[in-house]
Amino acid sequence: MLKIQNATVYFDGHDGKEIHALDRVNLDIPEGAFVVALGASGCGKSTLLNAIAGFLPISEGSISLNGREIVAPGADRGVVFQKDTLLPWSNIADNVALGLKFAGIGKKQRREKAVELLALVGLKDFAANFPHELSGGMRQRVGIARALATEPDILLMDEPFGALDSLTREQMQELLISVWHRTGKRIFFITHSIEEALFLGTQVIVMSPRPGRVVARYDLDFVRRFVETGDVRSIHLSQEFNTLREEIREILHCDHNRTELHA
Amino acid sequence: MTTLELEGKVMETAPAKPRTVKMAGFGLDGKPTVAISIATAAVLIFAWWAATALKLAPSLFLPRPGEVLRQLSVIYTDGYAGASIGQHIGASLFRIGLAAALAVVTAIPIGLLMGLNRWAKGILDTPIEFYWPLPPLSYLPLMIIWLGIGETSKVALLFLAMFAPICLSAQAGVRSVSVERANAARSLGASRLQLFTHIVLPSALPEILTGVRIAFGIGWGTLVAAELIASTRGIGFLIMSAAQFLATDVVFVGIAIISVCAFGFGFSVRLLERVLVPWKGKA
Repeated sequence: MLKIQNATVYFDGHDGKEIHALDRVNLDIPEGAFVVALGASGCGKSTLLNAIAGFLPISEGSISLNGREIVAPGADRGVVFQKDTLLPWSNIADNVALGLKFAGIGKKQRREKAVELLALVGLKDFAANFPHELSGGMRQRVGIARALATEPDILLMDEPFGALDSLTREQMQELLISVWHRTGKRIFFITHSIEEALFLGTQVIVMSPRPGRVVARYDLDFVRRFVETGDVRSIHLSQEFNTLREEIREILHCDHNRTELHA
Repeated sequence: MTTLELEGKVMETAPAKPRTVKMAGFGLDGKPTVAISIATAAVLIFAWWAATALKLAPSLFLPRPGEVLRQLSVIYTDGYAGASIGQHIGASLFRIGLAAALAVVTAIPIGLLMGLNRWAKGILDTPIEFYWPLPPLSYLPLMIIWLGIGETSKVALLFLAMFAPICLSAQAGVRSVSVERANAARSLGASRLQLFTHIVLPSALPEILTGVRIAFGIGWGTLVAAELIASTRGIGFLIMSAAQFLATDVVFVGIAIISVCAFGFGFSVRLLERVLVPWKGKA
């Protein structure tokens, strides 16, 4: 279980006043869950992800994974970034197996694991290619495979499809669902797209800025429905989906206006 | 019938080639410049030859190309000032090579350390920022007073000139590592040492090689100054000594040798870049 209790973060602002980036966030991510944090920029969703990843200490509260307090980054939490962070001097297989290399695992086993994971993300023919030879969507798939290689307890994804065109994005969403379904990994996923959040998450937390906090939570089953039926259109067109979309849009917009007025 | 058929075939095999177009670019836009450069060199050499053939300048100031070539073959066969041309070139290459090797093995680790550690940066910045903008000729007398007139002072002068650009570029290389890349490695379980060997070092390599190339440029520039110190051999010595006898053609020969050597070294470092950092500019 990943347990976040009263996570609060203050940053030093430029004017000497501190910025309240995250305000008493509580969240449990159980085994097999797909939790999506949704919100406009500045709502603290990336701050929350960085804290879970161990890149950022929190001012107050606690974050623990399987009972152990999180104090530093580690291979038990795989991270997929928005900007691809593949190493340009390594081929795709070596990039995927980078975490295994850090763990001191032998070349042969690294190779086998890389091939297996590349097949999982549909890139088995690209093991020998270099990152600059791949498209943005393919590079993100390599990023997912790389994060899975060390068999982490949770996958943290920071707007991984934000820079992709909408067609590629849809393909990537379906690919991610199949990876999630097949590996059973729990996922914490950040996005500012309402549709993406609704489609992917078993749980969606809606976040709002100044200070960054959770303003609404939804338990959803659209993703499970997709796993069963494989039918994206009927989910996107369903009454339920659209009602929820409008409801969340209302929350985000009213919030946005409030912030604008304050600014 | 036959002609018609022939015409038909011609039409088939050579369809009208469509006019291909290209977006308007800016600046060089990747267009090749080598041919223009070679043509410029040819024009310059022709102008040189024409100026001397028309006797626009006395040969003391501007020797004829033929004279310089003749002088080159004379020096090649007889040597100059008691040493063969190979010994002169060898002496210079030894000095610059040794200085470069010393600069590479010291400046890269020191520069990397300065890029990573606050104390190293704070302490070493003071002497380096103080000395590196100084012209080597200004501290040449100190080198002679402290290290004598042997090889040591010459190599030390070259070393100091070549150290700074490599050290500064190694620091810049460390700065070029993005936080995301470092964080990605950390979240994959990289230790501090692995972060350095697998992420920082290869990320900094392109910058370091650029620094080495600049260092060689500065090194050749300093060579003549270094060989002012009581030398009997070296291309710099050859030039300075010839200048004292107003042997302008020998000066030209010396300059030509230095330019060929410098070009060779620059080209080698570029080749090295292609082998070591083939990803440069691609990601």
